[in-house]
Amino acid sequence: MSDALVIEAVRKTITVDCTVEEAFRVFTTDASSWWPVETHSIHGNDVSEIVFEQHEGGDVYEVSAGGEKGHWGTVIAWEPPGRLVLGWNILKREAIGTEVEVRFTAEAEGTRVELEHRGWETIAEDSAAKRDDYDTGWDHVLGFYERRIG
Amino acid sequence: MDALGDPTRRQVFELLRSGPRSVGDLAAELPVSRPAVSQHLRVLENAGLVTHHPVGTRHLYELNGNGVVELRAWIEGFWDEALARFKAAAENKGGTT
Repeated sequence: MSDALVIEAVRKTITVDCTVEEAFRVFTTDASSWWPVETHSIHGNDVSEIVFEQHEGGDVYEVSAGGEKGHWGTVIAWEPPGRLVLGWNILKREAIGTEVEVRFTAEAEGTRVELEHRGWETIAEDSAAKRDDYDTGWDHVLGFYERRIG
Repeated sequence: MDALGDPTRRQVFELLRSGPRSVGDLAAELPVSRPAVSQHLRVLENAGLVTHHPVGTRHLYELNGNGVVELRAWIEGFWDEALARFKAAAENKGGTT
């Protein structure tokens, strides 16, 4: 395992021409209106709704046209309209999650939206751990093989 | 760089995170045929995410690196697209002008 591994967070900043409250609402409650579900969801084009449960510890999930839920992550901080932190399972629900923090700040021209997607180290460590399991598995299997040959 | 944009390819990628596998191993765990798995592997390989090498009579596919750098790059592109769409949606509904 790599103790000192640091992978830089993904950071994005944009300015949107609307109020802080509206920006927060569209980002969360109205995510279905903009989230690219065709490429970034579990059910693809079949997603009918995206739900943010509006409290700390709440779930974030998609609902398919057939009513099936697909879990995306968990609300770590729900502080409307200024800040939102999500634990987000990128690859599948059991995978070790990354964190997405979004800050909404009022500016002269509207709202500054700063997004930080961090925690890549946990995935790297998870990969290393899975690989270790796999290697140990092979050592075990090859051990039998060696004993048989020897 | 949208090799990971397809859900099945993401599953292939996820399976390979735990170690090298053959096309048959992958197909056994996915709801798609072996030719389809091969096709997905080709896309992943062309994108530089996966490599393969022969072991005995079969080919083992594995991630090129531990996958995190690739995943991060994919997500970086994803947020560019998603935030552009978010901006359009937010300005459409809540414009201050």
